[in-house]
Amino acid sequence: MTSDYSYQLHETLVHLEGVSKSYDGVPVLRDVNLEIKNLVRPGKEQGQVVALLGPSGVGKTTLFRIIAGLETPDTGQVLMGGEQKPVRRGQIGVVAQQYPLFAHRTILGNLLVAGKQVGLSGSAAREKADDLLKRFGVAGQGGKYPSQLSGGQRQRVAIAQQFMCSDAFLLMDEPFSGLDILAQETLIRFIHDIAAQDELMTFILITHDISAALQIADTVWVLGRDRDEAGKAVPGARVQASVNLIERGLAWHDNISSMPEFAQLRQEIRDLYPRL
Amino acid sequence: MKTNLPVTPQSDGSPVLISATHSSDALKVGDRKPKASEGPLALFLPNRRVGMPLLLVAALVEAALFLLLWILSPFKVLPQPMEVVTALSDLWKNQGLGQELGTSFALNIEALALSTVLSLGMAYLTVIPVFRPLVTAISKGRFLSLAGFTLVFTLIFGGGAPLKLSLLTFAITVFFVTSMASVIAAIPKSEFEHARTLRMKEARIVWEVVVLGTADKAFEVLRQNAAMGWMMLASIEIISRGQGGIGVMLENERKYAAYAAVYAIQLVILLVGMMQDFGIEWLRRLFCPYSVLTLERK
Repeated sequence: MTSDYSYQLHETLVHLEGVSKSYDGVPVLRDVNLEIKNLVRPGKEQGQVVALLGPSGVGKTTLFRIIAGLETPDTGQVLMGGEQKPVRRGQIGVVAQQYPLFAHRTILGNLLVAGKQVGLSGSAAREKADDLLKRFGVAGQGGKYPSQLSGGQRQRVAIAQQFMCSDAFLLMDEPFSGLDILAQETLIRFIHDIAAQDELMTFILITHDISAALQIADTVWVLGRDRDEAGKAVPGARVQASVNLIERGLAWHDNISSMPEFAQLRQEIRDLYPRL
Repeated sequence: MKTNLPVTPQSDGSPVLISATHSSDALKVGDRKPKASEGPLALFLPNRRVGMPLLLVAALVEAALFLLLWILSPFKVLPQPMEVVTALSDLWKNQGLGQELGTSFALNIEALALSTVLSLGMAYLTVIPVFRPLVTAISKGRFLSLAGFTLVFTLIFGGGAPLKLSLLTFAITVFFVTSMASVIAAIPKSEFEHARTLRMKEARIVWEVVVLGTADKAFEVLRQNAAMGWMMLASIEIISRGQGGIGVMLENERKYAAYAAVYAIQLVILLVGMMQDFGIEWLRRLFCPYSVLTLERK
């Protein structure tokens, strides 16, 4: 366990600026604002993991699609990278809930076709694909088809495919959904390991799973709806709370989930859920 | 407390519950070992896995029962199996069945090739909205009788062989394009979005998701429509008798109530159709091996 929590926040990497979205006149997101800054730990190579938490049906998937550039907000914008330009689809790696892969291509074929999209030569794409498969513990599976993989392997290959195109950002929608406790722990370790490999590596996880989010993230935003005076939910979710887990001593060390502070924070957020 | 769960020793000798070593990683859908084939009783139970030898026995028994029913049929007008075999021999040796079959087979293959190109092309074009009404209108052609098209097709393509080819191509295409357009319309939005997250341009998405992504289904649609081609072939050959063909032969025998010959010709069409079916399925497995990996019955 380490007690070194010193860090600095540098330039903004992702900025959601007043993002709102309605469907058929019903607001789903309302003025969502948040900023992810480059987190630097002196003397350490460290990326970061942030989580957007919220109960089911609150608008997390809509926000996921907007951050991914797959959908345009009605108002507001998502700004990305050092130059803070509006997000374009493909700029950020995206792993949807069902870990999509091309069923008609082998695992290696899935990675190579992704490499081709960013202009990698055949040999460069092959080299990068082999390296990713090895790093992600799926070396030797390159000749298989996606349907021949386990859920965990498929998840890692889906992430590897996105890393063929995008090196720095990875947006994941409900990554813990449907995983048993051991698979969940494996994924948490895996994301931690990958995030630790590059200072600019940023994972954005969108999930309803409070426990998993708190185990893995450095910062958590809680998304939810306001209540009117009668206690009725006002349509349109926005950021209701943000938690800096580093400041609370709940980041960057093992066995976080066994700490009393962890249980307390989990309960605090859990108590928020019925009102969101 | 004792447990009934199996245990396995660790390197330090301490026991570990085997169940605790399992994770979802251990589940490999495509890698699972096939279950052992079951006994003859499994033939009568739902969703059972039976080996090929047992299935072959079942097929032979069913064929024998069919033959028995045929032989014992109370309909005296129906020819007996041996009469059909004799008629088949006569048709083959003396009436040029082989040659007529070749003519029809060539026509069917040519029409199938043309309609495959046309249908797939039109179905893929449905990704562009402006083509959708046109393709929908063409697919409605399956409600129309071919007789109504004889005149217009004769005017456009001429009579004889071109007429037969155009009629059969049209007949297959209207069904083929309907099925294939449905396959494309059923591609989930998530597959397009997945391709978009990989920075694919829309033209590349059409190739990856629409063309390659539905290739296995295209083979299945082709297989179904190739069979329908044989069903429609006889009527088309009768519309334009000029070049002969198995349909003309069938119609001639039917006109003279030579039912043994009629069934003999039907039998030949059935055998050719089954081989065609097998061939297309073989091609699907060759080019799209992924399409059978997760099937219960491979």
